[in-house]
Amino acid sequence: MTASRNAQEAVSHRRHLMARNTGTLLERRYAMLGVMLIAPTVVVFCAVIVYPLLSAIYLSFFSIFTPTLQGDFVGLNNYAELLSTGTFWSSLGTTLIWTVGTLSLQILFGVGMALVLHQNMWFRSLARSLILFPYFISTVVAVLVWKWLFNDLYGIMNHFLISLGIISFPMDYLGTMPNAMISVILVGAWKYFPFVVIAVLARLQTIPDQLYEAAKIDGAGPIARFFDVTLPQLRDVLVVIILLRAIWDFKEFDLIFLLTGGGPLNDTQTLPLLVYQEAFALNDMGNASAYAVMMMLIMLVFMLVYIRRTRSEEET
Amino acid sequence: MAFVKKLAFNLFAWGIVLAVAFPLFWMLVTSVKPAFELFRRPPTMLPETWTFEHYLHLIERTNFLTYFRNSVILSTTTTFVVVAIGTLGAYSLVRFRFRGRESLAFMVLFTYLLPSVVLIIPLYLLLVQIGLANNIFSLVIAYTTFALPYALWLLRSFMAGIPEDLESAALVDGASRMGAFVDVILPQLLPGIISTALFTFILSWNEYLYALVLVNSDDARPLTTGVMNMLVSSFNIEWSLLMAASVMMSVPLIIIFAFLQSYLTRGFGAGGVKG
Repeated sequence: MTASRNAQEAVSHRRHLMARNTGTLLERRYAMLGVMLIAPTVVVFCAVIVYPLLSAIYLSFFSIFTPTLQGDFVGLNNYAELLSTGTFWSSLGTTLIWTVGTLSLQILFGVGMALVLHQNMWFRSLARSLILFPYFISTVVAVLVWKWLFNDLYGIMNHFLISLGIISFPMDYLGTMPNAMISVILVGAWKYFPFVVIAVLARLQTIPDQLYEAAKIDGAGPIARFFDVTLPQLRDVLVVIILLRAIWDFKEFDLIFLLTGGGPLNDTQTLPLLVYQEAFALNDMGNASAYAVMMMLIMLVFMLVYIRRTRSEEET
Repeated sequence: MAFVKKLAFNLFAWGIVLAVAFPLFWMLVTSVKPAFELFRRPPTMLPETWTFEHYLHLIERTNFLTYFRNSVILSTTTTFVVVAIGTLGAYSLVRFRFRGRESLAFMVLFTYLLPSVVLIIPLYLLLVQIGLANNIFSLVIAYTTFALPYALWLLRSFMAGIPEDLESAALVDGASRMGAFVDVILPQLLPGIISTALFTFILSWNEYLYALVLVNSDDARPLTTGVMNMLVSSFNIEWSLLMAASVMMSVPLIIIFAFLQSYLTRGFGAGGVKG
């Protein structure tokens, strides 16, 4: 009696153990498979991102002559120098002017355009495609086209402005200040505002109609409805858009480099252009790395805020 | 009255849309105008004489086709590499539990936002060291730095949208994990993969900085730096030629826009822009 019960217990115990064993075995095998699947990603990441990133920080402690790639260890000298001379600070100022200027225009145009496209207009999908197009064309194409529009002798921009009576002489759009900065900001806004349009439009389509109807019954006009219903609903998506675009505009290189090359007299030289100039024109890769690392540290603030937001969103 | 209001709104809306699209219209118009007509004052809004000589000139007497071929090879290779690695990686990140998974996801997002100018100096040194500088494959390697985090991030959110039950059902029916991946997940993920591939292709097609730094021979130059070189190196700038080059450069994009636009808008939603 007791013996058979013991035997039974032993069997069930063994079964239990086996089940747990196979369970962990399967789990372990799955984890192995998971690791194998991610392995190519990790290898590529380490080779082309992590290693270069660490090596950029390492390089910033050296003074390296680009053509020979010979360098001496200078410790924190590069940093001390960049913080004490004006180049870094004035370039940072330029970067902030560019970022704030173009970002506010992008948001303003973007939200406005999204509201327009949200209405019932004729050929709406064609209009949406036309608006979207500047965002996807190459910056090279955008810059070539705008340079042609801005051409001092035969550009159509001068023709328009003169025939409208706004200016009486052809204007130099890219060669003088503050024109150059304004032009760069405007072209940046033209190129990137479609991003805001699409993101806001997608959110607008999910706002329930009842909210508007309730506001209408309460006697709210179109403007009041915008501020009381639409804007609060857009708040979250706008925060995300502003963070992302701020990061992307801050690090923008192609557009400014190709339009003005940083000129006139470094007046539109933002930080990414400064890094490029130091490394490949002034041939000091150590110094350039120091600029790049500083730039990354400034961006880190925005990046961490964005990352934290995204993660908390995923958890809820 | 309602119609007048509607008409007024449409005129207003289309006025803005056409103003935004004007630079692109002007690019097209300039590219088919004969050279002498460019210097007419006031400028002609539509070409008086149509000509395709600039396109012919571009194809026959410049390196444009070489650049175009390079760009096609470069963007296609980058897209294939990145989407293949990224799909496996995203599957692992979303559906498997292992140590370090969370920090990996964090790193993907971090690198997605990282500026290229930080990586470009060490990458340049690295590629020179291993003797890869100045060819298309050095650019494929360099493009992975921005394309892979981007593709992973997109694919990860597409993957997260596929119900887990589908996979469990296949597993219960006796499919292996990879069998379920191929038979169940991949077909479901296909729109996401197409969307990611299109975005990756466009990103690589348009990239400029890495191409500028890493390649300086005409055999390996992609369109972006190649066409820019035509502007810088020519003595007097031929705007119609440059506009023709710009139009030709946008052809893949126009094709994508005409036939696959819904995939592009889908990618926007997945790219982290959620309210």
